[in-house]
Amino acid sequence: MEQFLFYAFAAMAILSALLLVSIRNTARALFLLFIVLFAMAGLYLFALADFVAITQILVYVGGVLILLIFAFMLSNKELLADLQSTSQRFMSLPNWQSMSLSLAFLAVLVYSFIAWTKEAPEWMARAQADGSILSPTDDNIQTLGLKFMTQYILPFEIISVFLMMALIGAAHLSRREGSR
Amino acid sequence: MTELIVHITVPIAIFLFIAGFTLFAVYAERKIAGFVQDRLGPMETGRYGLVQTIADILKLLQKEFITPSAADKILFAAAPVVIFSAVFIGFSVVPWAPDFIPANTNTGLFFIMAVVSIDAIGILMAGWGSNNKYSLLGAIRAIAQMVSYEIPVGLSLIAAIMITQTLNLNDIAYLQGVESPERIFFLGLWDVTDIGGIFAWHIFQAPHLLLVYVIFFIASLAECNRAPFDIPEAESELIGGFHTEYGGIKFAFLFLAEYAMMFLVSILGVVVFLGGWNTPLPNIGSLRLADWTTGLAWGLFWTLTKSLTIIGVQMWIRWTLPRFRADQLMTLCWKILIPLAFVCLAISGLWRILVML
Repeated sequence: MEQFLFYAFAAMAILSALLLVSIRNTARALFLLFIVLFAMAGLYLFALADFVAITQILVYVGGVLILLIFAFMLSNKELLADLQSTSQRFMSLPNWQSMSLSLAFLAVLVYSFIAWTKEAPEWMARAQADGSILSPTDDNIQTLGLKFMTQYILPFEIISVFLMMALIGAAHLSRREGSR
Repeated sequence: MTELIVHITVPIAIFLFIAGFTLFAVYAERKIAGFVQDRLGPMETGRYGLVQTIADILKLLQKEFITPSAADKILFAAAPVVIFSAVFIGFSVVPWAPDFIPANTNTGLFFIMAVVSIDAIGILMAGWGSNNKYSLLGAIRAIAQMVSYEIPVGLSLIAAIMITQTLNLNDIAYLQGVESPERIFFLGLWDVTDIGGIFAWHIFQAPHLLLVYVIFFIASLAECNRAPFDIPEAESELIGGFHTEYGGIKFAFLFLAEYAMMFLVSILGVVVFLGGWNTPLPNIGSLRLADWTTGLAWGLFWTLTKSLTIIGVQMWIRWTLPRFRADQLMTLCWKILIPLAFVCLAISGLWRILVML
């Protein structure tokens, strides 16, 4: 059952991603992105990362995707038509470059798959021997919260300052000129 | 195999409950509207108009599927499904009675917040797919409102979570009654662990949570797009907002989603702030009212009673207050509710550190 669900989510993610890059209709492409992100969240669940999965839905689907669709809806119709007709060259590399990039990615994936199925890394075996592994019913959020507030406090704070800077920047940009 | 059957029957049971609730709630809404506006409401169909909503749904079910010729057919057809399933999934983690919960997860509350935000995508799909000015305007208004009001909802829930220290809705409900695993203090002073009842509810455990609940209630009204925050569907300005072009069973699903959302936010507020399935009756000496009225059947009874009361208040507010203007709506959210929610968040932190330990 779980395997069936995993493959269903994976197939959904891959198929809709393929459709997403090939479709001509930008509005439908944005809504396909929703399916891709949702299926990815489902895949995170199988890695016991329920917090990451829910955050993915909350941040990407509830926030970023809505902003993208808003930007699309509020932008000029001529600009969009322009963008659609030239989308073959928009943000794209020459064919041989993109080909080599994707082949490199494929090579990395295949290499790691072969290397990891042959022999699990040492830290994995050590964790299994220690018994320091998570089970699906563990309270991951408690662990995450403690780690964020103790071991990873510096990255956590730096990210929050960074987000604050982005927020202030956005507020400054959206201010009307000459209102001071 | 039995597991699979359980996985299928529970959602069907919840769906049947939502459908039945919607039929009842539409009738109640029209009767309350009639009472507030000093008229009778539906009276013709059946005694006191009791079968009016059943007649309505029968009419909706046999209507033709009409898709506007200029509409984006896929998005138009998918939108009601996305909107309804977003709200429907939210019911999977809500507890109805002690340990009577479809999915007892540690991330329950966070999960609800996330899936409810999918609703917004569905509304955008409906607005864009209809290819109609009014639908698109309605959808854009709805999203602006929902995205803004998600912040006070989230902040008020976080203020409560800082007191409970768990996101599991079942545990949150347990923390507010006689079966609590921790000691409970009324206003942080009086130990009411054995007394229970209304004194053990979260809104009375810490006094500022009462204000937090008011913020949550107002913001959740806006999340459901209900009056006085119904500018997305303002029928005098926008015809019908994002569901202008929908008819028949698709409209029925949008309607179902709206009432399911009302019930979801009510039951969420009840579980987090108003004691969930815990009884409001306290133990008084040897009169063990709280112990007698705790259990599976009582839990269901209290959850339903409290949620339906909250829904009654929502309907009462809808027919009493006029609609907000768009700028007033945003002012209320960004200049009043969010700062207040931040203050409550700070008080929650201090309360947890200074009073509860």
